[in-house]
Amino acid sequence: MTVDHRHPSADDPRVMLEDESELYEPIPPYAPRTEREAEFYTLGDGELFINIGPHHPATHGVMRVVMKLSGETIVDLDPVLGYLHRGVEKLCENADLHHTIAYLDPLEYVSSLFCEWPAVMAYEKLLDVEVPRRAEYIRVLTGELNRVSSHLLAMGFHALDLGGLTPILYSFIERDEIVEMLASITGQRMLFNYFRIGGVNGDLNHEFMSRLGDWMSRATEQVEANVGLLNENEIFVRRNRDIGVMDAETALRMCWTGPNLRASGVPYDIRRAHPYSIYPEIDFDIPTRQEGDSLARYLLRVDEVKQSLRIIDQCLHQMPDGPVMAKVPRLLRPRPGRSWAAVEGPRGEYGVYVVSDGTDQPFRFRIHDPSFLHLQSFGRLLPGKLIADWMTVNASLDPIMGGIDK
Amino acid sequence: MTAVARAWGRLTLPGKVVFTVVPLLVVLTAGLIVAIAIFGGAVVDILAANMEIVRFVGAATIILVITIPIAFLNIFLEMKVIAFMNLRIGPDRVGPWGTALSVVHGLKVLMKEDFTPTGADSVVFTWAPVVTYAAAVMTVLVLPFAPGLYGQDFNIGLLYFFAMGGLGVVGLLMGGWASYNKYSLLGGLRSAAQIISYEIPLTLSVVGLLILAGTMSLNTIVEQQSGSIADWYVFRQPLGFIIFFIAATAEGNRTPFDLTEADSEIVAGFATEYSGMRFGFFFFAEYVNVFILSALTVVLFLGGWNAPFEIDPILDWIAGLLPGLGITTPVTIPLDLGGLGLPLLFLIALIPPIGTLLFAAPFYLLRSSMRWWVALIIGFLLFNVVAGGLVFAWAYVSFDWVAGLVWFLVKAFAFVFLFVWMRGTLPRVRIDQLMGFAWKWLLPAALLNLFVTAFAVVLIGS
Amino acid sequence: MDRALKSRLEDRFGDVLAGPVRQRHDETEIRIEPGDVPDVLRALHDEPAFGFGLLADLAGVDTGETMQVVYHLWSETTPDWLRVMAINLDRESPRVPTVVPVWPGAEWLEREAYDMFGIVFEGNRDLRRIFMPADYRSFPLRKDFYLPDDAARSPGGGVRPMEATHAPRNAAAGTVRKVRG
Repeated sequence: MTVDHRHPSADDPRVMLEDESELYEPIPPYAPRTEREAEFYTLGDGELFINIGPHHPATHGVMRVVMKLSGETIVDLDPVLGYLHRGVEKLCENADLHHTIAYLDPLEYVSSLFCEWPAVMAYEKLLDVEVPRRAEYIRVLTGELNRVSSHLLAMGFHALDLGGLTPILYSFIERDEIVEMLASITGQRMLFNYFRIGGVNGDLNHEFMSRLGDWMSRATEQVEANVGLLNENEIFVRRNRDIGVMDAETALRMCWTGPNLRASGVPYDIRRAHPYSIYPEIDFDIPTRQEGDSLARYLLRVDEVKQSLRIIDQCLHQMPDGPVMAKVPRLLRPRPGRSWAAVEGPRGEYGVYVVSDGTDQPFRFRIHDPSFLHLQSFGRLLPGKLIADWMTVNASLDPIMGGIDK
Repeated sequence: MTAVARAWGRLTLPGKVVFTVVPLLVVLTAGLIVAIAIFGGAVVDILAANMEIVRFVGAATIILVITIPIAFLNIFLEMKVIAFMNLRIGPDRVGPWGTALSVVHGLKVLMKEDFTPTGADSVVFTWAPVVTYAAAVMTVLVLPFAPGLYGQDFNIGLLYFFAMGGLGVVGLLMGGWASYNKYSLLGGLRSAAQIISYEIPLTLSVVGLLILAGTMSLNTIVEQQSGSIADWYVFRQPLGFIIFFIAATAEGNRTPFDLTEADSEIVAGFATEYSGMRFGFFFFAEYVNVFILSALTVVLFLGGWNAPFEIDPILDWIAGLLPGLGITTPVTIPLDLGGLGLPLLFLIALIPPIGTLLFAAPFYLLRSSMRWWVALIIGFLLFNVVAGGLVFAWAYVSFDWVAGLVWFLVKAFAFVFLFVWMRGTLPRVRIDQLMGFAWKWLLPAALLNLFVTAFAVVLIGS
Repeated sequence: MDRALKSRLEDRFGDVLAGPVRQRHDETEIRIEPGDVPDVLRALHDEPAFGFGLLADLAGVDTGETMQVVYHLWSETTPDWLRVMAINLDRESPRVPTVVPVWPGAEWLEREAYDMFGIVFEGNRDLRRIFMPADYRSFPLRKDFYLPDDAARSPGGGVRPMEATHAPRNAAAGTVRKVRG
């Protein structure tokens, strides 16, 4: 007797479901596990569920959001995660210390360097490794370039989610140039795998410097031009103003970090709040805005790009000579202990908590991702708003699903 | 018998088709010839007696057919123009500059599977694109393309236009409701709310114009605007023109008012569950609508087929220059062309090779590096351009309808370009902003326009 | 290292600390019993002398013998990160009070810790799985959960350090890699 193990297909006539009306409801096929779930999946009068994602044009990856609507007004929503869960923490616990860095790149695939950075910082603390100053400068330089590229992408996709087709392609011109120049020293366009425990993988080379010089000479104008497409666009401004307003107190309590928190008026930037690397030696401002709405979050990213250009400029001028790697053995066995390191990424605080048991593999490897916490706030920002506002808020919070789902 | 059956069995499917269809066609053609020979005279008499009906059927057929190239052209414009605005290349594979891509798209949707989702109301689902497309095509009937070139001249042409245009929303609503999908339902309801709201300012904005024109016949409206550019209604109804254009954008579901198919919000709105040619019909209807709304804007406000300047004074001016150049009289050829008979055909046939050689000669003689065949190709192309230009200029001067059609299409496609430009530039508005704009701004402005026009007509008229 | 913070913490929480205050690099670490979590974290958040307004991270840890919940906090009052470790959670049924009343944003972090370790945060009203499917039975980041890694189970598994897993190839069932908490 054979059992048919094939997955039921939509073409199979036997799969015509018995109860058709329930076929299209995104209600889970099991009893509610918590009060909140029970409350959410109970429809009130005149309400309906709509299932956005996992494959939807505006979800920035494979995110699924179940919305409870009344007409077009959002009553409540429930993000369902895990469609991109790869178990990176578990993989890292089963890998060599050096090997873990490669696992971290695909987390936030648009700003990979900021995933590697806290991990190498945590390892360096565990191992008491002193990083050469030139390596620190290169880390800051490449990191800020990556931040600019990430912010440009966020701004372009913000417009795309609002229906503007053009700004994303203008953003990609700059982003492509940055990615190409980073590829010339790291060898990869997106998943750089560049930082090493005790330094960086390679020194700056001629191609990188010439591309960077070219780009820096026109970067400010180009960014201004791209931003000009949207900043004075009445439709864009009106769709963003007073949407998804978050006050400073709530933002802190919701564990927000990064540009989203600073757009609510809290000047928390780890580069200044808990200085690391060579940021204390560099002169830059922390832009903040008081409004806390989607427009403020967008404009704050614009300001941050300008500050990043300042930092890149200073790095280029202050770059010392010297080695780019500390003397670190191939096989690393840190003493048993714990260490936590966090950096300020384009979306907020990227942190890594490492517990070592004295072997060459981390015993516990915890990755903290800011988008995860920003996504959590949908339920606070959106009830009472329209479906279209979900796209606005989602774009302005700029989550990356790779990091959220780990 | 078995041999025939065996031979038939060996044939492939195309072979079977050919062996069936060709004899059938031969028989039918023969029958038709015989039928025409017997009844031809009577049929011609009947048709001649009902010229109006023949004209109507002919016009309807032509209109149905020309909407397809118009839609193809609009799709191509949209792809290419937005690509240039985005600093992309856009389509460049099929045909020169990718011009055939929209045709290929059309073939593609023809060949795709037509899928009806489980739970959909299949009758309504199937008829929804037909209703939308039919509504779009039927409005073309009253558009005056050029003097004498129109489907039908109703005395209530504009009313007919709005009535038929408003029918399109029924198709969208049908599609949205029948798909059994919440995105579709939201899209369908959005389109109903949007189009019904914008119908009001759209209609009200032209009432002022109707007071001035005193007729609803589109032909008469265009004729009233002949004369100089100052006679165009856009200068007498500027506010009405602006309101009409904005409302037409919303009516055609174009950016920034394309909420019904807002891809980043409700995936594709009413068209989410459609595939294949049904989807194709929806989008054909949309692009035909873009052209129709542009054309109506041109007809109502921008003089329709009337040229913005007179061609005759320019011709006279050129004719006035001729004596100065030493040409005194019209060139007369001392040869009776009609008397040549058959050799005339040979003479005409000689023109292209001679022209090609004439245009090729300077390239070949002046550039030593030029190959003879390259020069010939250049000469041929140049000859074609020049000859085509001359034929066109002759047609333009000789026939009213050619000139009218050219100007009409130029103006209409300028508006199509404007729609595409807006799509490349603007983000999408939100549904509450959309409705608020219609009811709080456009409607009062349209009423204001109407009252001001009415007062002005009464004051000046009395 | 902020020595003053150490003495301040010892003065304020001396009676609830489950171990000495440890400091290394820019991190200060205190250990408390799970029952004291709400009081200590609320005091750290509310009292102006500490003012730890930002919950930088919340992580579950399985030491192989017990469970821990690790909170990382940030404050303007000190240049150090503060690490609060709730230690000695029962590995069979780990339970700890929630910090959602102080930081509503911890809700998903606690859901994640529940999903990965099975740590039950009492008082969290939405404690369901977040990454794993609803019908998933095990807790993947626990140390007795092995990766079904072909390379590790192959005859060459464990020869090169990169392929060694936490469960040696010939280990008896239930072998758990451990760390001193």
